[in-house]
Amino acid sequence: MKLAVVETEIPPDADPKLPLPVLQLVGVRKTFADFAAIERIDLDIFEGEFLTIVGPSGSGKTTLLRMLAGMEAPSEGNITFRGERINNLPANRRPTCLVFQSLALFPHKSVGENIEFPLKVKKIPPAERKQRALELLRMVRLPESYYGKNVMKCSGGEKQRVALARAFAYDPAILLFDEPLSALDYKLKKAMEKELKDLHRESGKTFIYITHSLEEAMVMSDRIGVLRAGKLVQLGTPEDIYARPADRFVSEFVGEVNVVSARRNDGGEWVADDTGKRLRVIVPAALAGSPELALVIRPEFMRFVDKPGGADNTLEGTIYNEYSLGSRIQYQVRVGEKTFLIEMSRGHAWKAAPAATVTIGWDAGDAIVVTP
Amino acid sequence: MEGIGSKRVRLFVGLWTGFVVIAIYLPILCGALAGLSKGRYFAFPVRIYSTEWWWRTVSSFEIHTLVTNSLLIALIVTVVAVLIAFFGALAFARYPWKGRRLYQKVLLLPIFFPQPVLGLALLLWFNALGITPSWQTAAVAHLVWIVPVVTLVIAIQVYSFDPVLEEAAADLGAGRGFILREITLPILWPGIWSGALFAFLLSWGNFPLSLYTAGADSTVPKWLYSKMVAGYTPMVPALGTMSTLVAATLLLLAGATLMVLRRRRAG
Repeated sequence: MKLAVVETEIPPDADPKLPLPVLQLVGVRKTFADFAAIERIDLDIFEGEFLTIVGPSGSGKTTLLRMLAGMEAPSEGNITFRGERINNLPANRRPTCLVFQSLALFPHKSVGENIEFPLKVKKIPPAERKQRALELLRMVRLPESYYGKNVMKCSGGEKQRVALARAFAYDPAILLFDEPLSALDYKLKKAMEKELKDLHRESGKTFIYITHSLEEAMVMSDRIGVLRAGKLVQLGTPEDIYARPADRFVSEFVGEVNVVSARRNDGGEWVADDTGKRLRVIVPAALAGSPELALVIRPEFMRFVDKPGGADNTLEGTIYNEYSLGSRIQYQVRVGEKTFLIEMSRGHAWKAAPAATVTIGWDAGDAIVVTP
Repeated sequence: MEGIGSKRVRLFVGLWTGFVVIAIYLPILCGALAGLSKGRYFAFPVRIYSTEWWWRTVSSFEIHTLVTNSLLIALIVTVVAVLIAFFGALAFARYPWKGRRLYQKVLLLPIFFPQPVLGLALLLWFNALGITPSWQTAAVAHLVWIVPVVTLVIAIQVYSFDPVLEEAAADLGAGRGFILREITLPILWPGIWSGALFAFLLSWGNFPLSLYTAGADSTVPKWLYSKMVAGYTPMVPALGTMSTLVAATLLLLAGATLMVLRRRRAG
């Protein structure tokens, strides 16, 4: 690392308990020709945290990561590392290391040579390099005998580990990940997510991870940022994102949800947009003046109602289908043109006859109220 | 319907394969035999075998000169063609820029020019510029035709090279020179070697361009032709055989090297 690290002066009124931002993005914007991939992002990334940026494809998450890695320069705004502006610092002089989606392992080099690459760049003598490579192999739980192995003969999971070990060999302050687990099968992916989180805790380094899967983000992250069309729509803990999504986009991103559009009628009451039926809604203070709202009800908060007044809000529909989701059962219920989802744990499953007429409902407190 | 595994089908495939191989290699074999017969004119079967014409060929001063010419041209063409083609292939296979497709077509067009026409055109140019044709001008003429071929050969390798590898290397702290040495060149080596081999062999065996542009200097193919027209001796097939053997040895060596490298990498 050739970067001269300047100690940031801690302002006297700063809260000493708060960690310092290791990376700061201030008004960062990136445009390609007429297209803005990233729209003015302000973001503080703290020393040692696991931050995940989630977004659908085309949301600008890769562009954001490439700016942090030094492969793209921001069109506007500033990126600072421990207080020093690094906008135009090239990738090879940044204290960051990116684990690519394709892993980018060097196919003509062995596992050991791949891991030693950054050490060779630093002109560390071969014996020392090898020793360090063997340590790193142990760290990523690969046998030492892999040192001389052809990297292209490794399995998908082993390649992941080699790529990780190589990134750690560079010893960056910040590790960046561009969906490195997306090519793995489900079981291996789940195992690697946990290993990555363990590695984060053991190394104490800052991890910035991008993915399109919020589920993946939930498992690993201290904080999650949701990116949509180049804008950071929400930044918070996994709990925040799940329980208090900032808008309909975020709530739908978390998983399958039921959405009911509501509007205020002339009498000032909330009614369903399509049926005009009265709804009981708990409106958050921030949305008090809004004439229209979206109510987001997760399938596990939706239920079958067998007696009048069994739920704050009810709808009449017919059972369309039922699916087994392993430990849970999901029902599809048709209400007019719309389909609602209800999930119950297997033990409490409801015996449903296809095409049976049912009443479903939810309580006002279980709906997440967002702008439409 | 008879399956591919049936006896009759296998027999037919075997015979046909044998015929094709014989059709390809018999003329070369005849050439070799002609050079090894003692008689001045080739007749089959060869009555008396002799290496006399081979010895005469090897010790002839005239032949030394033209082999030197051919070698010099081929070596210069190889080095220059690979240098130009390597960077050209990188430019057109990797970077998107305006007019890239047109450039690709324009660059590859000379491959399809009839070589005598290309040779004549180049000769006219050399004359217009007041340059006396010699083996040097022949080398330039070879380059005009061979650079596109080599560019194409190397470009195929470049297309399969993932530029993310260079980005990853830079991200791990490497500078441009280090990346070229450690990543780009080693991965592109097979393409560069095949390109070099192509350049050497195409130049070594080229007749039409040398005929027009080498002026008073001669090369191996040019000499073979002129001796066929007038003044035939068995040195012609002897030299022809040697020339083929040089090319074949080079190919075999290259193939063996590649195999050894693959084995080592696969370890």
